[in-house]
Amino acid sequence: MSVGVAAGQPLTDSAGPLLEVGGLQAEYGDIPVLWDLSLTVRAGEILALVGANGAGKTTLLRVLSGLLEGFLKVRRGTIRLRGQALKGLDPAEIVARGIAHVPEGRHLFPGLTVLENLKLGGYMRLARADRRASLEQVFETLPLLRDRWRQLAGTLSGGEQQLLAIGRALMQRPTLLMLDEPSLGLAPRLVAMVFELVGRIRAGGVTVLLVEQNVRQALALADRGYVLEAGRIVLEGRGGELLEHPKVKRAYLGL
Amino acid sequence: MNVALLLDVAAGGLLMGGLYALIAVGLNLQYGLMRVLNVAHGEFLMIGGYLTYMLHVHLGVNPLVSILVSGPVVFAGGMGIHALLFRGLLRLKRTQEELEANSLLISFGLLFILQNAALLLWSADIKGYQYLDRPLHVLGAVFPTNRVVAFGVAAMVTALLFVFLKGTLAGTTVRALMQDPVGARLMGVKVPRVHGLCFGLGVGLAAVTGSLVSMLFELTPFIGLPYTITALVVVILGGLGSVTGSLLGGLILGVLESLGVHFTAPDLRMVISYGVLALILVLRPYGLFNPLAPRPGQASQA
Repeated sequence: MSVGVAAGQPLTDSAGPLLEVGGLQAEYGDIPVLWDLSLTVRAGEILALVGANGAGKTTLLRVLSGLLEGFLKVRRGTIRLRGQALKGLDPAEIVARGIAHVPEGRHLFPGLTVLENLKLGGYMRLARADRRASLEQVFETLPLLRDRWRQLAGTLSGGEQQLLAIGRALMQRPTLLMLDEPSLGLAPRLVAMVFELVGRIRAGGVTVLLVEQNVRQALALADRGYVLEAGRIVLEGRGGELLEHPKVKRAYLGL
Repeated sequence: MNVALLLDVAAGGLLMGGLYALIAVGLNLQYGLMRVLNVAHGEFLMIGGYLTYMLHVHLGVNPLVSILVSGPVVFAGGMGIHALLFRGLLRLKRTQEELEANSLLISFGLLFILQNAALLLWSADIKGYQYLDRPLHVLGAVFPTNRVVAFGVAAMVTALLFVFLKGTLAGTTVRALMQDPVGARLMGVKVPRVHGLCFGLGVGLAAVTGSLVSMLFELTPFIGLPYTITALVVVILGGLGSVTGSLLGGLILGVLESLGVHFTAPDLRMVISYGVLALILVLRPYGLFNPLAPRPGQASQA
């Protein structure tokens, strides 16, 4: 299996990073969960963020989306999207700047139909014609959703719900798509389908930040990856390199 | 036992249930959406009632037409109150429980302020007027005309609300926010704005109910709280966050109350109401029609 860099996707910084996180420290109450975390996401790549449960992956995505509810606080650090500061903005403003987030647990609207869920994905796109075009595109990418458009989201299977969650995020026509554990709890056949979909989404010009516990498949698909442990980045590199790294092999691949 | 009489009693309950449904839908828009338990909800009903009373008695406005004033005025006032009292609370909340507790405190304060303001403005004297109180014969049964009209208006307003919730993007947004706030925020929904709108809408519906109630019963500044409690029972009966549930729950409670009172005594109306509440909490704590209730055999969302 070929790993790492996909054809025609040079790993250069010619256009500058799409997303730049510097020195980020976040806390739950008084307990730090992210320590001096810095990372970059380059335009057009698939970046994998791997690590054990509780390493802070989900927290990082929540911070990036501005979902600072409850006890989560950002202490220090910078977040820039194409050089523009994102820290302190609320989720609506961050969505408007082109970051879509498919959260852990999907957070679909179970009592709304598939179509209504998708329409809400296009909520920010006020032009009706725009929304229609987005919808058509999502249906083309995920024909299954077209077949199920009248069904309530809560009655879909787990895999279908995951596809709907991704489709709903695509309705936002994001520049950066953040996926939090899209393969969690899915049968192997569906896991393969989700990873294949992520590849297709990138091919369509969307940059992907992929958080996964399925380390092997995530790193195999990704251009680059970061390994997160206890709120710190402990390793970074090309996906293929990380797969071969002794530490990754030992800790995450059981080799 | 006389079946015709029973049907009569049930139909009378159904007419009252239409009003219960309307005020409960309004409460559900607040509590189901924001977990803001507005115990002053019934005060807005009282205010709606007095507005209609004033417009009718002093200016000769038809009570039904007065709804076009009481609804929008209280809607706007509600948006203002939300911005003033609840918006900061929603922003600062750390847990759902904290929000429920604090909103309860604030709305209790609001209840006393509104009640005492009404006492100052309109005094504690009982106020009322006669409107369409002649009997109406429907399919062999006899009802006061005003009750039938009030039910018809309540049904119309509810239908309009359904068109808004099911047929427009703004309404779909409200339902989405009820079902999954995190999901809605990630779609770019501006939550405080939708909350304000729904608070206004909720108390506006209470005011419309109040206008209708003023056609049927006399007004005092203290009529609000019993309606708040009834609305709360209906919301729990029908399911938190389910507008359809509140609608059907209101009708069901109206009929149950009417039949219960028929077989016991009018004094026991509240007892019956609480009995229904207790039963539903024991047997179906998610309510009768809650789409979010876990189904048997279905694992909770991973």
